Amino acid sequence: MQDALPAFVLDSEATKRSAMNGTHRNPDAETPATPGSDEQLMVAFSRGSTDAFSELFSRYKQPLFGFFRRRVADPAQAEELTQETFLAVIRVSRRYEPRALFRTYLYAIGFKILRAHRRKEAFRATFLGAAAGIREPALQNPIEAEVWLRQAVRKLERLDREILLLREFEQLSYAEIAELLDLRVNTVRSRLFRARMALRDLLVAPAPKSSAAELTESEEQA
Amino acid sequence: MTSTAHPVAPEEVMAFLDGELSSADAQAVSAHVDHCAECADLVQQFHSTSHLLSRWDVEAIPRKLEDAVANLAVKTVPGLEIGKRNIFNRASFWTWKQWLIVSGGTVAVLLFVLAIFVPALYRPRQFRRPAPVAYQRRQQTERESSGRGTLGQLQADGQPDTDQQAKVFQGSVPQNSLVTPTSPSIAADSNGLFHGLGDHAESSFALAPMIARTVSLSIVVKDFAASRSSLDVILARHHGYSAQLNVNTPENAPRGFQASLRIPAPELSSAVSDIKTLGRVENESQSGEEVTRQHADLVARLKNARDTEQRFRTILQQRTGNVAEVLQVEDGIARVRGDIERMEAEQKALEHRVDFATVELQLTEEYKAQLNPPAVSVSTRIHNALVAGYRNASETVLGIVLFFAEYGATLLIWLVILGVPVLLLWRRYRRTLARS
Repeated sequence: MQDALPAFVLDSEATKRSAMNGTHRNPDAETPATPGSDEQLMVAFSRGSTDAFSELFSRYKQPLFGFFRRRVADPAQAEELTQETFLAVIRVSRRYEPRALFRTYLYAIGFKILRAHRRKEAFRATFLGAAAGIREPALQNPIEAEVWLRQAVRKLERLDREILLLREFEQLSYAEIAELLDLRVNTVRSRLFRARMALRDLLVAPAPKSSAAELTESEEQA
Repeated sequence: MTSTAHPVAPEEVMAFLDGELSSADAQAVSAHVDHCAECADLVQQFHSTSHLLSRWDVEAIPRKLEDAVANLAVKTVPGLEIGKRNIFNRASFWTWKQWLIVSGGTVAVLLFVLAIFVPALYRPRQFRRPAPVAYQRRQQTERESSGRGTLGQLQADGQPDTDQQAKVFQGSVPQNSLVTPTSPSIAADSNGLFHGLGDHAESSFALAPMIARTVSLSIVVKDFAASRSSLDVILARHHGYSAQLNVNTPENAPRGFQASLRIPAPELSSAVSDIKTLGRVENESQSGEEVTRQHADLVARLKNARDTEQRFRTILQQRTGNVAEVLQVEDGIARVRGDIERMEAEQKALEHRVDFATVELQLTEEYKAQLNPPAVSVSTRIHNALVAGYRNASETVLGIVLFFAEYGATLLIWLVILGVPVLLLWRRYRRTLARS
């Protein structure tokens, strides 16, 4: 299932958010059962409307799961982090103020949870001797090109990779990415350009002969 | 392709494709791309890369996750706290490896703490800082009073601990029944010869104990000067004297003095009663040290020494011999005479302790705060404060230096033992975090 098409494939004009209501045409989002922007739905949910949350959940469940799934090797952990993010949204809903796009707000929470998860995993791997990674069931029989693609993305610099993924799959604007990663917009643009150029070079190079199992092993060791 | 060769930078082309340019800029870039083959090729590359990325699919979200979150959303009122995860409930968290590492770390920390503090506990006493002299004296007095068969301490309310003690302090034992060396039965003449001593005297000591009595009083008075005068009158009335007197008259603080009074033993009760009338008694304690056996032992040894001396003198008078033998007897007489004089001095001191009870008096004035400005000027106070601050700072610095001089080597050893593994683990942690 494709959760978010890259921006280039889409009409660039179609990806723009309305300046009036800040809504974003998410290609993965199902047809809203309740009319209204994300922010309006969140405000309604903070006032007790569970239907509003159901609508928000239906809009963002797959994009958020994809957000974690592309960054975490273990799908079970991706599920757990997705659930944690939505639970965090529920917990802080009473204090929600629509000062920014809900999408940015949601991914900011997800990013914090992801960072905490990475710190915990690194701590366990370093100090407690836990396994650094878990074999990924989804990659047991992946397509060769997809494996090659994942390997190429992993070779990017960490921050460049994060910016690229946020732009390509979460379809955040430069300003949103800058806010999320606490960077300047110009820095985001230059790093995104650098990441795309580097990825182009990596993808132009001949694909390695490594199998999916070998890739999984290398990820596990990394 | 650079910005010098093209009016549009490659990043702007990318921003145009991302929809990040304004309408005017977007039109300009679009027009340029239509006529520039290199930029058109760049656009094509961007499209191609994005198209490849679009093949990175992830599986659909599991249904169970949808159900779990949906149920929580329905059940949870917004803002209501949802039970937080407890890591201690996760069985996978506490593996034997983790237990081993945590336990090892705890033991290492404990060893570190013990290594620092245990040597200080077992350090030889002579290296410790000497206690103040007054404290040592007090400790010695307490040890003596508790280890030599004293009658114990009286409570502040004056109730004795034992019946015997009660008899002594309540006067049921007549003071004149106490056999003291001043009594005719054990008096010695000016030649040092003992009269009236023997088994009878020892039995008398056994019947009438000799007790050195001590009373401690802490009194708060309203009029300090009047109290001092009254105290002098009390001492004169009871034929006592002040063995030691320390007067303190600090500024902006209550005046007071500590005195060690010596009162004839028969007058002790009445003298203490008079002293109590000076003000409010805050603390009172009485104790008595029985020195009967000590005195009897001293008397017996003194008698033996006098007998020995007498025998030497008889030998010297009645026997004849060579000069060496005469000198040997003379040496014996001198040695015995020295012992006799030393024991006589001890005996007198002991008898004086019994004859004159000790009253340790601490008298403090009721302090009334003065509204008068302080006598010391502001500049002097500032100067004093600066000097005190400098001293405190220098003492602090010196303390730090001394601490590191004392424990620095040990700390360094433990720093190496613990720091290097921690540093390696930390670097490994940072590397792992960077890779994740």
